[in-house]
Amino acid sequence: MILKTIIAGLFALLAQPGLAQIVVSPDGEIKSIKQAVEMAEPGAHILVEPGTYMESDIGIDKPLTLEGIDYPLIDGNSEGFIFVIAADSVTIKGFNIKRTGRSYVRDYAAIMIEGVKDFIIEDNRLEDVFFGIYLAETEGGVVRNNRVEAFDTREASSGNGIHLWSVKNPKIIDNEVMGMRDGIYLEFVDNAEIYGNTSNENNRYGLHYMFSDGGRYYDNIFRRNGAGVAVMYSDNVDMMNNLFEHNWGTAAYGLLLKDINYSKIEGNRFYRNTVAIYSEGTNEVHIHGNDIELNGWAVNIKSNSARNQFTENNFIENSFDVRTDSPRNNNEFEGNYWSQYEGYDLDRDGIGDVPYRPVSLFSMVITKQPESLILLRSMFIKLLDTAERIAPVLTPKTLYDENPKMDQIVR
Amino acid sequence: MGCEPKPQPINYGSDECAYCRMMITDAEFGSQIVNNQGRAYKFDSVECMAAYDLTEDGENFHSKWVPNFLDREEWLNAEEAVYLHSETLRSPMGLFLSAYADRTSAEEMKDEYGGDIVDYEAVKQIVEREWLSNGSGGRQMMNN
Repeated sequence: MILKTIIAGLFALLAQPGLAQIVVSPDGEIKSIKQAVEMAEPGAHILVEPGTYMESDIGIDKPLTLEGIDYPLIDGNSEGFIFVIAADSVTIKGFNIKRTGRSYVRDYAAIMIEGVKDFIIEDNRLEDVFFGIYLAETEGGVVRNNRVEAFDTREASSGNGIHLWSVKNPKIIDNEVMGMRDGIYLEFVDNAEIYGNTSNENNRYGLHYMFSDGGRYYDNIFRRNGAGVAVMYSDNVDMMNNLFEHNWGTAAYGLLLKDINYSKIEGNRFYRNTVAIYSEGTNEVHIHGNDIELNGWAVNIKSNSARNQFTENNFIENSFDVRTDSPRNNNEFEGNYWSQYEGYDLDRDGIGDVPYRPVSLFSMVITKQPESLILLRSMFIKLLDTAERIAPVLTPKTLYDENPKMDQIVR
Repeated sequence: MGCEPKPQPINYGSDECAYCRMMITDAEFGSQIVNNQGRAYKFDSVECMAAYDLTEDGENFHSKWVPNFLDREEWLNAEEAVYLHSETLRSPMGLFLSAYADRTSAEEMKDEYGGDIVDYEAVKQIVEREWLSNGSGGRQMMNN
């Protein structure tokens, strides 16, 4: 083994002057990752053999590649951080990391990356960690194909799976995060590119934007979180082809929008959420081509939301289609399919001949009197809604879809 | 009678902040305003409570409550609590505010984390300056 190591090391030296390879092994000459990092030249490749390494606060202050073979376990013994990266061009790949410290005042993370660029964090498995992968004041960098899992039954004591604070242009790709507070959390992040991730069963949100502009998230799955995704105080965020499902509970949403401007929500599927899309203080967002199916409410849009456009969405068997808190409407609904539409199409052009009003009278009533929900599906309510549809008295006069599609829109 | 309005338990991980709509998850920051009918408006942070206090009509407010950062089971009267405003001790909405029962314990935290010790009036001024005087919550912090 040692001979192999030396030969491999020699080859590395010969091939790339200045670079070197170091092998860490529980029964080898170098038994600790920390020691290997200390002795490595900048640019070195550190290979870690299978085994268990009881180590924490491994500081990396030069460009290095650390690669685990068959997922060696680094056990932090519930003390502090595991990796702390403070140099550009560091790669951490193929580790199994367990047991960071926990604290109310320090954000202990399995992999902490601070003030650097061009890093790659990939193929790692993190379990029983307080924070998982933590990016602070970084630029660029890729976090790919990691698994972060921590089911902490103590309420409110978990950190975030992938946490980004004051970051520019990060790529968060194909990760799986579960059982954390937020799966992926962004605060003061510009132009994040987030795709292919699965974020399930987190205590708060699957994905959470705070004060983070630009960029997009797409092709992700958000299932059974406290709420699927919250996008708050951010502009120009595109949200495409994601799946939001089974986010149930009193404050549970598929997608929660709060103070959002100039964004796009397209091609997503919202399935069985308490509220599929909640919108407050949201302006000029285009909600197009989504499938919104079997939710309690499809859309809850507050009156301080304006100039949003809902076009060509399928609204299928939601208990209520749209809920709002004002008789005024400053948003546009046009050319959507509504399974609750009971109009007709005499000229057979595929578009209903009478407008559809997605705010039912009953949904206005239960907004004020939640107890009346018990009357849902009663004949009395059906009569009320039919009367309201013919001669609207209470529901917003300007909130209607003038060209409702007769058939579900096929994509 | 005998129904004096008092703080309600917060369901961490399901109750929603009445100001910012975020789910409330941290017991060391979850705050509330109780009105004269005993209804509680719950917040995920001291800063959100102060913002609500500043922006809503407070005529029907009965009392305001913040958790003791050092004993999260204990509710402190917000007007009497002592606050630490320290950039090394982050709070949910990013204004770095934590609450204490007395000046001595706040001083101890200040020795460790730095910052300033302030009262509730000063907390409201911080929220006013950082959030309310220039539009929506927290936008100016983008350039930090």
